[in-house]
Amino acid sequence: MTGTATLPRSGSTGRATLLGLAALALAWEAGARLLSGSFVLAAPSEITAWIATHPGLLARALGTTLANATAGFLAGNLAAIALAAAALLWPGGRRLVTGFALLVFCLPLVATGPILRVLLGPGDGPEIVLAALAVYYTTLVPLLVGLNAAPAAWFDLVRSYGRGRLAELTAIRARASLPYLFAGLQIAAPAALLGAMVGEFTGAERGMGVLTIRYMRALDVPAIWALATAAAAVSILAYAAIGRLARALLHESPPVILAPPPDTRATRGTLPALLHALAVLTLALLLWWGAMAAFGLNPFFAKRPGDVLAALVWAPDAAETRATLATALGETARAVLPGYLAGLGLGAALAVLLTLAPVLSAVAMPLAVTLRSVPIVTTAPLIVLLLGRGAAGAIALVAVMVFFPTLVACLYGLRQAPGQILDVFESYAAGPLPRLLHVRLPAMLPAFFAAARMSVPAAILAVTVVEWLATGRGLGSLMALSASLSDYDMLWSAVALVALLSVLCHAAVAALERRVLSVYAAEQVPA
Amino acid sequence: MPADPPPRAPAITCTGLAKTFPGGREVLLPTDLALAGGRTTALVGPSGCGKSTLLRLIAGLERPSAGTVRIGGLTPAEMRRRAGLALAFQDPSLLPWRTVRGNIRLARRLARLPADPERIEDLIRLVGLEGFGDTRPAALSGGMRQRAAIARAMATDPQLLLLDEPFGAVDELTRRQLARDLPRLWEPRGTTTLLVTHSVVEAVLLADRVLVLSPRPARIVTDIAVPLPRPRDPAITATAAFHALTDRVSAALADGAARAHPPLAAQ
Ligand SMILES: Nc1ncnc2c1ncn2[C@@H]1O[C@H](COP(=O)(O)OP(=O)(O)OP(=O)(O)O)[C@@H](O)[C@H]1O
Ligand SMILES: [Mg+2]
Repeated sequence: MTGTATLPRSGSTGRATLLGLAALALAWEAGARLLSGSFVLAAPSEITAWIATHPGLLARALGTTLANATAGFLAGNLAAIALAAAALLWPGGRRLVTGFALLVFCLPLVATGPILRVLLGPGDGPEIVLAALAVYYTTLVPLLVGLNAAPAAWFDLVRSYGRGRLAELTAIRARASLPYLFAGLQIAAPAALLGAMVGEFTGAERGMGVLTIRYMRALDVPAIWALATAAAAVSILAYAAIGRLARALLHESPPVILAPPPDTRATRGTLPALLHALAVLTLALLLWWGAMAAFGLNPFFAKRPGDVLAALVWAPDAAETRATLATALGETARAVLPGYLAGLGLGAALAVLLTLAPVLSAVAMPLAVTLRSVPIVTTAPLIVLLLGRGAAGAIALVAVMVFFPTLVACLYGLRQAPGQILDVFESYAAGPLPRLLHVRLPAMLPAFFAAARMSVPAAILAVTVVEWLATGRGLGSLMALSASLSDYDMLWSAVALVALLSVLCHAAVAALERRVLSVYAAEQVPA
Repeated sequence: MPADPPPRAPAITCTGLAKTFPGGREVLLPTDLALAGGRTTALVGPSGCGKSTLLRLIAGLERPSAGTVRIGGLTPAEMRRRAGLALAFQDPSLLPWRTVRGNIRLARRLARLPADPERIEDLIRLVGLEGFGDTRPAALSGGMRQRAAIARAMATDPQLLLLDEPFGAVDELTRRQLARDLPRLWEPRGTTTLLVTHSVVEAVLLADRVLVLSPRPARIVTDIAVPLPRPRDPAITATAAFHALTDRVSAALADGAARAHPPLAAQ
């Protein structure tokens, strides 16, 4: 299902996108004029004016952030390629590699940032590592799909000339994976910027994130909007540039969505799944402990697994720590669950509505892809401005974070409805509703669930960032507080808890996905 | 470079060869089969009976559940390592990012043979794809893709050529042309050819021997020799001798089907 579908790139949709953007800008300007004086929305004219009066400042901040994001982009993607190579060389370990990669991807960046800052000392290290952490997983997943995305007959061809796995790799896998690699790189561009900016939110000295925090404190609305706009524009440009490079090199557009349906072969039965989870956990704990020991890091801030366990289970204040974590977890859940569900529901619903009006759908797809490439988390300050520091802001940010990938995936999935089957419906003169129910919706489900699965870490990232920045509630806020109080036991415990829960939620969505797809899209679940 | 040259005009010997897929689907019953080297054998049988599976077993792409395959005394794996066999797959399986020429060249590269551009151009011309050497498969018709796949299979001068319904999507006229031209390529080289086809006429026209398979699980129900002179011109299809042979093959096919699915009245 991550097949070869690509976006149409005709002049007319390009023009339609421009028109759509222009209409958006006009509505925005009008809205801002209406709301002027309420300190929430800056008009495009004000944003332009701010950029025109602060070109040097903006350029320096953007330069710093882009340098870090680029370094993280390279490091993260190289790591993804190395992990994919490892999974290819050792097929039995593929699930261990992906499971571990997911666990690391679920580390809450807002807490990883301060921890890295004390571990790595002063410098841009934390921003770069965070950018790398934000990108490698979304490259690894499609790359693994791509490396295996060849019909069996192509491998038979290689074997029929007596050649082995090396020839398979050079003649087939390497080339077959390129579109998927580019799809990952495209998504990685905004993600790297996001990672770098989150790193800057959590205590850097320079960069876009630092400026954003400063202007948030000063409530300088045009400045906040200008910074977010610049970050969004850079992301969109990078996304488009990588897409263009892919088209020039490969003569095709990279696939729009990334995550494959979960591998049903290996997870059949609860016992293998449990063993797999145990293996991943063991590996993670070993690496965690090994890294701390190898670098001889100061146990005051570099906690080992045992320290976290002690803090949660048998330390004198363990009960208190657990209670604090549970309260924060409850607050976070009340923001992230409604936001996640709303984002999924609205994204899917809008996609379905748009399909009923094909003209709009042609415009919506490129627009949605464009907006998806905005690093939503960096707009957290705007959402806080718009909706306040309460729960509404957090819910909205999560919803927006989930909404765009879901919309894109569902629009894409709805288009995957097999033409021949639609022709059958056509031949009975069936109306749009039967077609939607019997053909399009089942075709949409795999893409929808892929988005739902990949949105789990994204939603948790969004909620922890907004809690860290603004709401003063939940795990994100707890992590901010612990970092500033140097309560490293609490900080590490919160990180472990968030990562573990994210992986569990991811697994729950994947289990639901398998169950639903085995009924509604049996042919799309690998046998 | 291949270690040793493959045996010329290899005979094929299958001993007790059988295949049951995991899950218990029996596809090929234990079969003994001896095919003379340098000859062309046609396999005909109802859809889904196991023809492609038999071909893949002989190529060593499928592991037999029982029995062995020897090609000129070698195992399929040894034959493959010497670049001695080539398959034209039922579904052309061209690499979409390579042109027709690039796909053919890849076969030579995989077989560790020098590129030999002239030979590649000859083959492109032979299968009627002149002018399409630089075209990618997506811009070809189904029949053109199949012809490109045939050219790819011929490109390594295999001693054993396995053709799985190579003309399925090709029009009648081109089919006749290919049926005339391709044997001219493989006969003088002493290539052993095994051809799966749904066309009784094609089987008799191309082969020295026609094996008729029963419905799944496959078993050889009839073995018909085709003593027509070579080289054969497609005009031969109008002769009485030819018709007698096609009638025998058709009757054997119908007979095999009737035994597998007896008509209601007989039950
Ligand atoms: N990998 C597989 N796993 C399980 N069953 C298979 C597999 N490949 C083929 N079969 C089964 O083996 C039987 C024979 O398949 P095969 O492809 O050999 O038929 P065929 O004679 O070539 O048919 P056709 O003329 O339609 O190409 C079929 O019933 C098919 O379902
Ligand atoms: Mg077949």
